Amino acid sequence: MSDIRTAPTQSVGPEYQSESQKPTATVSTPVNFDNVTILPQTPQLIALLSIIRNRDTQRGDFVFYSNRIIRLLVEEGLNHLPTVEHTVTTPVGRPYDGLAFHGKICGVSIMRAGEAMEQALRECCRSVRIGKILIQRDEETAQPKLFYDKLPEDIADRWVLLLDPMFATGGSAMMAVDVLKSRGVPDERILFLNVLASPEGITNFATKFPKVRVVSAFVDPGLDEKNYIIPGLGDFGDRYYTR
Amino acid sequence: MTSTITSTIVVTPDGMTNGGATLTINGSAEADSACTIAKRAHYAPPWADVSIIGIAGSSGSGKSTLSQAIVKSLNLPWVVILSMDSFYKSLDEESSRKAFRCEYDFDAPDALDFDILVDRLRDLKAGKRAEIPVYSFEKHARLAKTTAIYSPHVLILEGIFALHDPRVLELLDMKIFCEADPDTCLSRRILRDQRERGRDVEGIIKQWFSFVKPNFEKYVNPQRNVADIIVPCKSETHVAMTMVSQFIKQKLLEKSRHHRAALTKLEMEALSHPLSSKVHIMKQTSQMRGMNTIIHDIDTTPEDFIFYFNRLAALLVEQGLNSAAFTSRQVTTPQNKPYLGLEPAGEVSAVIVLRGGAAFEAGLHRVIPDCKTGRMLIQSNIRTGEPELHYLILPKDIDQHASVLLLDAQMSSGGSALMAVQVLVDHGVKEEKITLVTYSSGRMGLHRLTQVFPGITVVVGNLCLDAEERWVEKRYFRC
Repeated sequence: MSDIRTAPTQSVGPEYQSESQKPTATVSTPVNFDNVTILPQTPQLIALLSIIRNRDTQRGDFVFYSNRIIRLLVEEGLNHLPTVEHTVTTPVGRPYDGLAFHGKICGVSIMRAGEAMEQALRECCRSVRIGKILIQRDEETAQPKLFYDKLPEDIADRWVLLLDPMFATGGSAMMAVDVLKSRGVPDERILFLNVLASPEGITNFATKFPKVRVVSAFVDPGLDEKNYIIPGLGDFGDRYYTR
Repeated sequence: MTSTITSTIVVTPDGMTNGGATLTINGSAEADSACTIAKRAHYAPPWADVSIIGIAGSSGSGKSTLSQAIVKSLNLPWVVILSMDSFYKSLDEESSRKAFRCEYDFDAPDALDFDILVDRLRDLKAGKRAEIPVYSFEKHARLAKTTAIYSPHVLILEGIFALHDPRVLELLDMKIFCEADPDTCLSRRILRDQRERGRDVEGIIKQWFSFVKPNFEKYVNPQRNVADIIVPCKSETHVAMTMVSQFIKQKLLEKSRHHRAALTKLEMEALSHPLSSKVHIMKQTSQMRGMNTIIHDIDTTPEDFIFYFNRLAALLVEQGLNSAAFTSRQVTTPQNKPYLGLEPAGEVSAVIVLRGGAAFEAGLHRVIPDCKTGRMLIQSNIRTGEPELHYLILPKDIDQHASVLLLDAQMSSGGSALMAVQVLVDHGVKEEKITLVTYSSGRMGLHRLTQVFPGITVVVGNLCLDAEERWVEKRYFRC
């Protein structure tokens, strides 16, 4: 099993506060890949993560607070999509030099935990097309296996937001990217959004797909002997859907 | 003034608040306006130097009629009548028994608690909130509850002894004495005490001859000598009314002029300073710029406008919460591992500055579904541009909350934001706990606000030109 790094602990808060005013918390473990973006470690994000990590948090709260984190994740992910300069006239009659969104998008969730991220995506992009991929671990080989996929027909012309909250070893995500590539989606048009990642998963993934972009809310220090992220937050799908 | 709201309050002794909107807010009245920064600019709200008009006169001489006639003729939302009946002392057992036998002298100055009255009048004169006691005539005792008065521009103090105490006289801007012949007074008193105070005729007459009349000679009548105007009750009160109205209108005009001049002065001062580090302007990411473009585009459909404004509002509120207070907290994950995280240090509530701030409600409730939400209506006077506070209702325990988000769609000159923050500070919310969240603002308004209140945090969606018209709320509410 991988050695567990020490998670960085530091004071968290807005810039104008002095160090002594800011409370201390464990923040995301640093990773060094150009295509990986970690959300800013704001006190609010840490507080939201603390709620969904807590084993005593009830399902209703887990659903609400994880949804809030995922919305922040989606908002950040969308920043990687292309835009064009666009000037409009405002209601008070002055010109406003802005941007217009450019290019078609779709979501692809890895069942079932990834489906928990669809609501937040829809809250940012109404009527977005969402494909699904079912990947499960093969009991005999312990390797991920593709069971089912249903994707938009024109997916090759779209930007794809790949959704899976837990990014442990990255096995399923890498298989999902292979599926997308086999449908003609180029690497640079895939964005993989996840809530909690491990350095192992990120390293495996970013080495194999250096052009696929990854957006995570937080990177934990490592995995345990069963390849669970630790300290982690448990089984996301279970806590969101059935527990 | 656009609305059906008339926030004229009449504080009557039984605690009933007659009139439209209630400006009653409970919570600590202690405003912490301590200056922490030497160079901070000063802002005085228009109600900081309330004009107080005292109306004295014998029982039944027409004081309340005159007061109400003045309020009616002014037809302004900031005129409050304060009856001195609210300041009767609570009676001890002995006196109480006397009172029930109609043998207690309610018509002597000693029956009134002038110390509390002076105290409350001084608070109001300083622009603070004042808790007015509620006196029950049925029980002859003060009730536990109080009625709050906040932010009147004109206060009418009405009571038999309104011109009695020299400390009160010092605070009065105008002194009126109502005069009436004794027969009229007695008959009016019989009617009123029977109807409103549950007394019988015999008791009322007994009280009249043992107390009211002798007291009149001794205490009430001498007040004539200090009055500016003596209003005879029998005659039509038109002349007196016109005089009083004109006086008040003049006073209000002066106040408005001072207020606007002070705002302009702050504007000039603001220009020479850089923006405070506590002003957070949202990073203009491509999504932010894209959403801003849709929101600014006059050709955007209402559906899209509301959708994108709600989406952006939720992000602004999320950012606003980052300035809230947090404390470290260790949690245990389902894998039995500890994680050192954070939790909010206390309750976060919101106050919406109407109408624009209401556009934030959808975004706010997406982030905190059960957020306690206060509201205040501040409108700019169409003629003068001066901000005016029309309506106010805040969570009772707002001074206990760890953070308060103040929400307004747009800030141009910063005048209404200044007033809104002042109101929160007056209700015991510390500056450091206030975060103003606004969709767009000019540099000037931001300067002005943070010069006066350096402790507050401001989150701004995007910077716009100074003095931009308020168009966001028009688009959001579609009218």
